[in-house]
Amino acid sequence: MVSISFPFSMILLIAVIGYFAARRKAIAMVKGNLRQLQALPQAYGQTVFFTTFLPATVILLGWAFVVRIMGPSYALISDGLFQVLVIITAAVGAALSYLRVKPSQRARAISERWIMGVLMAASALAILTTIGIVISMLSESAIFFRQHSWSDFFFGTVWAPNFRGGSQLSILPLLWGTLYISFISLIIAVPVGLYAAIYLSEYASPSLRSVAKPAIEVLAGIPTIVYGLFALITVGPMLRDFFVQPLGLGSSSSSVMTAGLVMGVMLIPFVSSLSDDIINAVPQAMRDGSLGLGATKSETIRQVVVPAALPGIVGAVLLAASRAIGETMIVVLGAGAAARFDLNPFEAMTTVTVKIVSQLTGDTDFASPETLVAFALGLSLFVITLGLNIVALVIVRKYREQYE
Amino acid sequence: MTKLPIKISAKNVDVFYGAAHAIKSVDVEIADKMVTSFIGPSGCGKSTFLRCINRMNDTIDVCRVTGDIMIDMEDIYDRRVDPVQLRAKVGMVFQKPNPFPKSIYDNVAYGPKIHGMARNKLELDEIVEKSLRRAALWDEAKDRLQEPGTGLSGGQQQRLCIARAVATEPEVLLMDEPCSALDPIATAQIEQLIDELRSSYCVVIVTHSMAQASRVSDRTAFFHLGELVEYGYTSHIFTNPSDKRTESYITGRIG
Amino acid sequence: MNLYHSKIHRSLLVKDARTQQRNNAELRFRAYGLTAVSVGIVALVILLVSIFTSGMTAFQQTKLQVTLELPEAKLDKKGQRDLVAMKKVTTIGYFKVLGDGLIAQLERLGIETGLKAKEVREILSKESAATLRNAVLADPSLIGSTVTMEFLANGRIDGYFKGRVDRASAQLDKNVEPGQLDIADALAERRLMYTRFNFNFILAPDASDQRPEAAGLGVAILGSIYMMLVVLFVALPVGVAASIYLEEFAPKNRLTDVIEVNISNLAAVPSIVYGILGLAIFINMAQFNQSSPLVGGLVLTLMTLPRIIIPARAALKSVPPSIRDAALGVGASRMQTVLHHVLPLAAPGILTGVIIGLGQALGETAPLLLIGMVAFVREYPAAFTSDSGLFGEASTALPVQVFNWTQRADPSFVERASGAIIVLLVFLLIMNALAIFLRRRYERRW
Repeated sequence: MVSISFPFSMILLIAVIGYFAARRKAIAMVKGNLRQLQALPQAYGQTVFFTTFLPATVILLGWAFVVRIMGPSYALISDGLFQVLVIITAAVGAALSYLRVKPSQRARAISERWIMGVLMAASALAILTTIGIVISMLSESAIFFRQHSWSDFFFGTVWAPNFRGGSQLSILPLLWGTLYISFISLIIAVPVGLYAAIYLSEYASPSLRSVAKPAIEVLAGIPTIVYGLFALITVGPMLRDFFVQPLGLGSSSSSVMTAGLVMGVMLIPFVSSLSDDIINAVPQAMRDGSLGLGATKSETIRQVVVPAALPGIVGAVLLAASRAIGETMIVVLGAGAAARFDLNPFEAMTTVTVKIVSQLTGDTDFASPETLVAFALGLSLFVITLGLNIVALVIVRKYREQYE
Repeated sequence: MTKLPIKISAKNVDVFYGAAHAIKSVDVEIADKMVTSFIGPSGCGKSTFLRCINRMNDTIDVCRVTGDIMIDMEDIYDRRVDPVQLRAKVGMVFQKPNPFPKSIYDNVAYGPKIHGMARNKLELDEIVEKSLRRAALWDEAKDRLQEPGTGLSGGQQQRLCIARAVATEPEVLLMDEPCSALDPIATAQIEQLIDELRSSYCVVIVTHSMAQASRVSDRTAFFHLGELVEYGYTSHIFTNPSDKRTESYITGRIG
Repeated sequence: MNLYHSKIHRSLLVKDARTQQRNNAELRFRAYGLTAVSVGIVALVILLVSIFTSGMTAFQQTKLQVTLELPEAKLDKKGQRDLVAMKKVTTIGYFKVLGDGLIAQLERLGIETGLKAKEVREILSKESAATLRNAVLADPSLIGSTVTMEFLANGRIDGYFKGRVDRASAQLDKNVEPGQLDIADALAERRLMYTRFNFNFILAPDASDQRPEAAGLGVAILGSIYMMLVVLFVALPVGVAASIYLEEFAPKNRLTDVIEVNISNLAAVPSIVYGILGLAIFINMAQFNQSSPLVGGLVLTLMTLPRIIIPARAALKSVPPSIRDAALGVGASRMQTVLHHVLPLAAPGILTGVIIGLGQALGETAPLLLIGMVAFVREYPAAFTSDSGLFGEASTALPVQVFNWTQRADPSFVERASGAIIVLLVFLLIMNALAIFLRRRYERRW
């Protein structure tokens, strides 16, 4: 364990003192005649501040994180000694940079270089996150595949975890449920979202648009747990009592249909706002050309605007599909837990995300394949959605460039 | 001043964009089988007036048109008139070539298809060929009918748009600065084409180029600040304008 | 050429059949569009109505007033008011005393029960014994006196007052007797049982499976606030710094292109993947406390970052180049231009994006389930402790609390879960209103 608060405050203190000292020194060296300085006095202060603060803080946080991950036995030196070393680093940085302060120093350029370094580090975090995702899932999945046959995982047909051993852990029945539910949700969301976007951008009066557009956007801002609860307490029981049971189609309130319906509603605003952008990107000249030939508005939309926007719309649908596949709370609360291949949409089925949650919550033993399988599921999910996202992003980008 | 039959006649036409008064009580009679050009400085209302003739202004919410515009003695703003039917009769070609992102064939076939002009594929093929021939594009396009129209050069695209417009068998062709986005060679081709179209249609062309107006048109109307200042034989307007403003414009003093 | 048969008479004043047909198609198309819009709006309305009708009652709670004696013999046998000794009396002992007090009160009021003593006692919430015990331990001088206090009624009795339970359903439910409802009616008539605004729902911590009536959102709200603070203080500076670099300074090359696609992809990666990342790195590797707002906040930060960077870059991009040229023209460095001129002008747009990102983080559930936030947390977490650091103690979060309650057996938790969602939606509403306000007030169009 490495304590952070004390050395960090010391570093900060030294850096702040360094800032004021350097500023004073710069002013004093030109006897208050600021025009003789290469930069404003505070630039000299900033230079000392950054040289003191940044290296020491990076060492402190980096080391603390390494020790946390590798365990205290890897900390080659005691915590106390380390703290002293870090503070000395800061002090040395302060002293050296303070001594360098002189009127001819290009202080602004130096301090800006430090700032640029910080900005670049922040952007690098995005890459680090992806690497972290991939490494964390790969390493745990590797342990899983050492304990469990990969052919059962990818090509088996049964999902039957058994904590006493001999589990069958195949992704296929889970993938079936995932795709079935996503399919139903897209069947609802794509036409509704698309038609809604078309109506609102091409037909609706300004007053209707000013009400309906935000209303549909509100749907996008509602957290998925709310949709999950909606599926659990309203849609599921309603489907069961008024539809499924009377028709003898099943008896479960959790079902592919419940989850698919609710997820469809969730995706409506997603599809409609994406399609709205895309439809608006089709140049007006295209519409005029069609209207000028005597086409009606709907003929123009169906035969000119939508075909022109098709790549973009396909991209939007792929993004929506990626969302549906990765959606968790709605299926946890609405789809059920039974892993099976079934065509009846009124049966409870389960998805990849549901099983990730159920294998990783509760009392888990991180050495057993029944737990570790969640990481392999996660990795598969990541790869599938990554593929969809990248294809979609590339299509949408190309499409945008076409009309820019 | 005319011997040919009147195709379009406008009386007392005013156009408003919201509060802005874009066209001020314009009266004009346009003859059939002739090219009439509208000239005038930018923002003078010539395009706006052109768009009134096939009611393209209907697509703009804030636009309001008053007065009468008659085509073949029928008021096109009559409540019984469907703009869809009107626009089949009054075709339009726009400033920038705007082929649909479809094949050349489908671009031309689009109008006949929506208006149900062909009973079968054979008739449709015939219409497409005839229209492309009329637009002087057949020879260049006949071997690539299934290629996208957007792959053609600018001048070819504009001729494709003309073919697309003539495919619905209009009686009037409106052209809104059809050459402003084209290079001189393509412009010359389009102008030659307009000259050929004269025999079959009533062509109205908006242009900012006085040279073009003098080359292609029989009659010229000069618009200024929303008013129709002068209208008459092109040769007359360009050699002996009766209005001071027309003279200033064609000699380059205003514009 | 008989192709031009249509030319024969084309009076504009007569609508031909085909045009009529096409106009009908037009109307149908319009109707589809209107239907689609209505489907969206109706879905929203049904969703909200269903949540509000089942959740509003969570803000009301049935309580009853009991006047009872606190016998020394049972609560402090030694009579020394020594807290250590007194704590040996558990809530079971207090429940008995309280139950006896209730029975005595019913006798005084002349309410006939016909029920067993145990059944009468169960009108009270199991939580009420703890309420009494805490009151006595806080003020031992109460022992021996007669006090009048307010206690929570049992969840089923509460349900009776909220219309969730009636005599017919009570007959079938082994957790409640119709006789208990009679007592409730009689007490209500004497104004000793009533429903009041439920401050505990917002302030109290969660309660166990058997006492839904006592369950509150206090810990969850605090946990959510802690996590939002982590997200705000990490994601805001990092996100703004990254977007400044990418938008203003990054060279256009392969690497930045990869970063760009990568960020768009991270914004679209399923949130549960971030939970797996958090579990593997922060908990399994770095051994942070499970369920701590620190870990939750960091996971949400990673998830929110790309969702902040994308709008922040758009905001920076929308500042016209003329501003940059003007600043560069008077001799400012590129860094000064960006920090002094571009950033302040883009700030409203960036802040709007940050608030919307925070709103998404606030409602996010799935990743938090994986880092153990589903644990049952009874105690308020401390903001800072010497051994677990800032926000290091176990906590829960609003959306996770909702999920937790949906997994409980007692149906009264449905009301609680819906009520919790109302609280969550109110928070989101406030945040979005703030974002809209910022946009309207400060955003410029160039």
